[in-house]
Amino acid sequence: MTLEARVEGDGVSEAIPEPAHSMIEVVELSPGLRAELLDLEAWGEILTTYGRTMGVAVALTDAQGRLLGEPHNVQPVWRLIHDATLGSWSGCPFCITSHLPCTAVKEALRSGGVVMAHDQAGLTHVAVPLRLSKQHLGAIIAGQVFDRYPEPLPLRRVAKEFHVAPQQLWDLARKQRPVGSDRLRASGDLLRALGHAFLQQRYGTILETRLAETNGRFRLLVEGVRDHALFTMDPVGRVTSWNRGAEHLLGYAEAEIVGQSFSCIFTPEDIQNRLPESQLHHAMQAGQAEDEGWRVSANRNQFWAAVNITALLGDAGEIRGFAIIMQDVTERRRIAALLEETRLERGRLQEEFLSHVSHELRTPLTAIYFFVTNLFDGVLGDLTPQQHETLGLAIDNVKQLKDMVSDLLDITRVETHKLTVEPHYASPVKLIAEALSTCGTNAVLKHINLRSDIASSLPFIWADPARVRQILINLIDNGIKFTPEGGTVTVASRPFPENHGFLCLSVSDTGYGIRQEDREIVFDRLTQLKSGAETSRGGLGLGLFISKELVSRHGGRIWVESRVGHGSTFYFTLPVFSLAKLCAPVLTTANLEPGCVTLIAVDVVAVAGADQTELLPEMRKVLERCIHPAQDVLLPAMSDSEPVNSFFIVACTDSNGFSVIASRISKELKDFDRTSRLRPAISSTTLLVAPGQSRKEQIDEVTARIERLIQAHLLNKERLK
Amino acid sequence: MSGKKILIIDDDPHLLMGLTPRLVASSYNVVTATDAISAVSVARKEVPDLIILDLGLPGGDGFLVLERIRNLAGLAATPVIVLSARNPVDNRKRSLDAGAVNFFQKPPDIHEFLSAIRQALGETIALSTFLKT
Repeated sequence: MTLEARVEGDGVSEAIPEPAHSMIEVVELSPGLRAELLDLEAWGEILTTYGRTMGVAVALTDAQGRLLGEPHNVQPVWRLIHDATLGSWSGCPFCITSHLPCTAVKEALRSGGVVMAHDQAGLTHVAVPLRLSKQHLGAIIAGQVFDRYPEPLPLRRVAKEFHVAPQQLWDLARKQRPVGSDRLRASGDLLRALGHAFLQQRYGTILETRLAETNGRFRLLVEGVRDHALFTMDPVGRVTSWNRGAEHLLGYAEAEIVGQSFSCIFTPEDIQNRLPESQLHHAMQAGQAEDEGWRVSANRNQFWAAVNITALLGDAGEIRGFAIIMQDVTERRRIAALLEETRLERGRLQEEFLSHVSHELRTPLTAIYFFVTNLFDGVLGDLTPQQHETLGLAIDNVKQLKDMVSDLLDITRVETHKLTVEPHYASPVKLIAEALSTCGTNAVLKHINLRSDIASSLPFIWADPARVRQILINLIDNGIKFTPEGGTVTVASRPFPENHGFLCLSVSDTGYGIRQEDREIVFDRLTQLKSGAETSRGGLGLGLFISKELVSRHGGRIWVESRVGHGSTFYFTLPVFSLAKLCAPVLTTANLEPGCVTLIAVDVVAVAGADQTELLPEMRKVLERCIHPAQDVLLPAMSDSEPVNSFFIVACTDSNGFSVIASRISKELKDFDRTSRLRPAISSTTLLVAPGQSRKEQIDEVTARIERLIQAHLLNKERLK
Repeated sequence: MSGKKILIIDDDPHLLMGLTPRLVASSYNVVTATDAISAVSVARKEVPDLIILDLGLPGGDGFLVLERIRNLAGLAATPVIVLSARNPVDNRKRSLDAGAVNFFQKPPDIHEFLSAIRQALGETIALSTFLKT
């Protein structure tokens, strides 16, 4: 006995396109949303009405074909069988068959069309898919009807299988009005359209409800925030919403300020300076703007506000308005100012104290120094070698004391931001040589080899020579101090590969090394490491701290690499002298417009052996007066070996402009130079700026040519001597 | 060799005791003053070739002494070297602007100091000084 449900895919239904989607975009449906979409109560009325009108049973199923709720308008034959099974029914709710599952619902969902199914009793139903944007929700099934007049034979088999009276079944079957397949299919299509429309509408309703709830919650949240003003504005800065926090902070009620410009919360000066407009403009450009400043409440109280403005953009990126968060930080600001003032005051007192201490220490130190040097140099008579050596040590100790006193003052200057560096055009080779010579005696005394390892042709640096010497001497002395007898301290210098604008100098020793955890703190104030070396004479522990400050004032950085037991290397970087950087302020687009730059050289020629060196700084001041600071640059001394008696001016002008500058220089120098018998020799070269290049290329080329001209000029002068 | 006269104005007697023999050993004649008031009269009376001046003096600031000396007929061009414990950052420029030829912070390197004295007296032409500015 083979009893099976026949399932036919329905070509006609497939041909009908799925109803067009409404404008609502369907997101991934959550289980909650699915349940809400298939809410039985909502569907109840439409299904009942449909079933009655069409004379069929109708029910809702999930995507697996399981019945949701009860079928509507149940047909007599089906009810009899169903009651006979005493509720143990499983499988398709509309098929009277217990052997094969009815796949109509799955088919319908897969294909998107209406699928018709027949069971062994001759009952027919259609499965109508419920899909939302391709996502399977469930189905409507409709039927439990014969599609033609019932046949006795299959009914008798069914009666036997389900243990019902054959006559009763037959009577009921004959009373049920058959619904033809065509009609059933057509009503399935109608149901499909109805179902889809209802689903769309229901989806829209659900979203609206949810949005309203979210808005309500958000509004409650915004309202609930009391210590921040939160408000929104339209694109021209008129207030569109205003929370309780804003009412509290700014004193305006929502009703009175909505529609008004937010500029009323600014000070009159800020309004005059068009700050409200510029803030909105900035927020519009950057998407967001932050500000701190005075704001004014309705009762004219001023408070210091921290403000964040966010531009609200529409889908097309158009500006819809602004959202503003504002907080009163007057108190925070007052405390911060108080703390800073206290800190500075403490720094001032400390500096005053240390300056006084330093001054008082220097006076007896000077007397001791003079006494001891007098003895040492034999001013007061001859000494035995042993006395001489002892006094040498005494002098070293006095010098050490003197350095400590200087460090004390440097350290306070660090804290009161007064430690200054005055960069010059300087030769690193020369500075290293000077530092090595200063530390030489100390190294010899301790039997330490002092070496230098310097790359050929190092660039000049732009640094304060005295400070660079101070850093080098400090690092070398440290190296000597922490290296056992017979060890080596090496000063090296190389271009810095990570940044070509910097030169890297290093001081390595073969000493005790620094442990990993100490490398972090070695540059901190008052740090002295116990590393097996004698530490009793370690000084104040300020040297590396001051060195670090000095390096960072130059724009460089300092760090240490070390292996315990093998030694340490301190590295620091200093900016390379760059003519381009010096000239950058005047080599502007406007200044380069005429297409030429003139290099002016002023060589000072001394007449009859006059001592010019004393006067050169004065001459520099005179030359400063002769140039136009917005268009011309007086370069720093471009040679650090000879007495600097050549000055160079880079002027953004042509040869006519040069004559003006030259005559001004001659006149000013003549006034200055009545007695010194110095004569300036002024020469110039005008460079044409190549057109059609980018400004950067032009500047690079011009400065490179100027540099070559200067070197040639200096070389030529050297030869003439 | 020199016989030139140097006036040291400093209120610390130990400094005078330390510096005087050194200058004498270099064949300078040394006269001293220990306060601002006597400094000017000693200077007028002795007419030194060079003055070494401390800034913190009893009876008046060293700058005041410098100004007075600059206004004395025979001393207007006498070189003055300031030797002070004060901070060079502010005081070097102020001293030079007031007419001193050099500024040394205490304690100075004795050899540099002596070389500066020789230079100020026109005894050598020391080019190295300028290199440091």
